[in-house]
Amino acid sequence: MTRIGVQRSTASADEVDLLARLRAGDEQAFETLVARHYGTMIAVAQTYVKTRAVAEEVVQDAWLALLQSLDRFEGRSSLKTWILSILVNKAKTRGVREARSVPFASLARERDAPAVEPQRFRGSQDAFPGHWRAYPGRWGAAPDVALEDGETLRVALRAIAGLPLAQQTVIRMRDVEGYSSEEVCTALDVSAANQRVLLHRARSHVRAALEAHLDG
Amino acid sequence: MAEHVTCQDVVELATEYLEHTLPADEAALFEQHINFCDGCDWYLDQMRTTVAAVGRIEEEDVPPETREKLLAAFRDWKRA
Repeated sequence: MTRIGVQRSTASADEVDLLARLRAGDEQAFETLVARHYGTMIAVAQTYVKTRAVAEEVVQDAWLALLQSLDRFEGRSSLKTWILSILVNKAKTRGVREARSVPFASLARERDAPAVEPQRFRGSQDAFPGHWRAYPGRWGAAPDVALEDGETLRVALRAIAGLPLAQQTVIRMRDVEGYSSEEVCTALDVSAANQRVLLHRARSHVRAALEAHLDG
Repeated sequence: MAEHVTCQDVVELATEYLEHTLPADEAALFEQHINFCDGCDWYLDQMRTTVAAVGRIEEEDVPPETREKLLAAFRDWKRA
C-alpha cells in the first residue's frame, strides 16, 4: 500500500540550501520562502484573527520575527515547521488580543455533508443497499495525463477556494504543502479526529469537483 | 461495526483508510470490500489521484504590497 503524505522531521536538502542562502542575505532565497509559505501562513493566521487584513499583518510580523531569530535556528526541526511555529505564536498573541471571534472547534463542525451524494447508492429497499448504482470512473488508466493538464489543477484549486476556512486550511497544509497531521493539529489546535474529518470533507469535495471535470 | 462495509461506508472511511487510522478489524473489512468491488477500488484510486493533483498545486501569489514590505524588512535586516 502506498503511504500518502510526506512526513519530514528535519530540514530537507532544499531547505538547508535556502537557509544558507537566506543567512548570507540572498534576497531571492527570501522571496522563494515567502512565496512558498504565504498561502498556508495566511490560511492559518486567518483561523486565529478576524480579518484577512490582520492575517496579512500577522504573516509580516512572523517573517520579521523569523529574520530576528535566524541565528538561533539549528535545523533540528524542518524549516517549514519552524516558520509555522513562529506564525502560530504571532497569530495566537494577536488572536487573544482581538478575542478571536470564531473558535476553531466550531469551524470544524461547519458543513456536515456526505462524501458522495446519497442518490448514487442503492436504497434500503434494494437487494444491495448502500452499493453503487453506477461505478465511479476508472481514473487509474491515465492519472498522469489528467494531472498534467493545467485545467485539472485549476479545477482543484477552485474547489479548495470554495471550501469553508477550516477545511481549506487543513487540505492546503496536508496535501499542498505536505505538513504531517501532527503539525496540522498543533498549528490549528484541533484534535487528530477533527483534523481527519476536515481533511476527509475537503478531499471528498475536491474529488467530486475533479470527477465533474474529468468524467462530466 | 457490521460484519461488512457497504460502498457508501467505503467512501466515508476512505480518508481514515489512507491515513492508516482505521482500527485493524475495520481496515480488514475495508480491504475485503475493495478487493471484490471494482467501483470502490476505482473510487479509492480517485481519492489518491485527488491527493496527487492537490499536491501539484502551486502556491498563491503574494500580494505586491506584502511582498514590498517584506523585501524592505529583509533589506533592513541585512544592513543591521
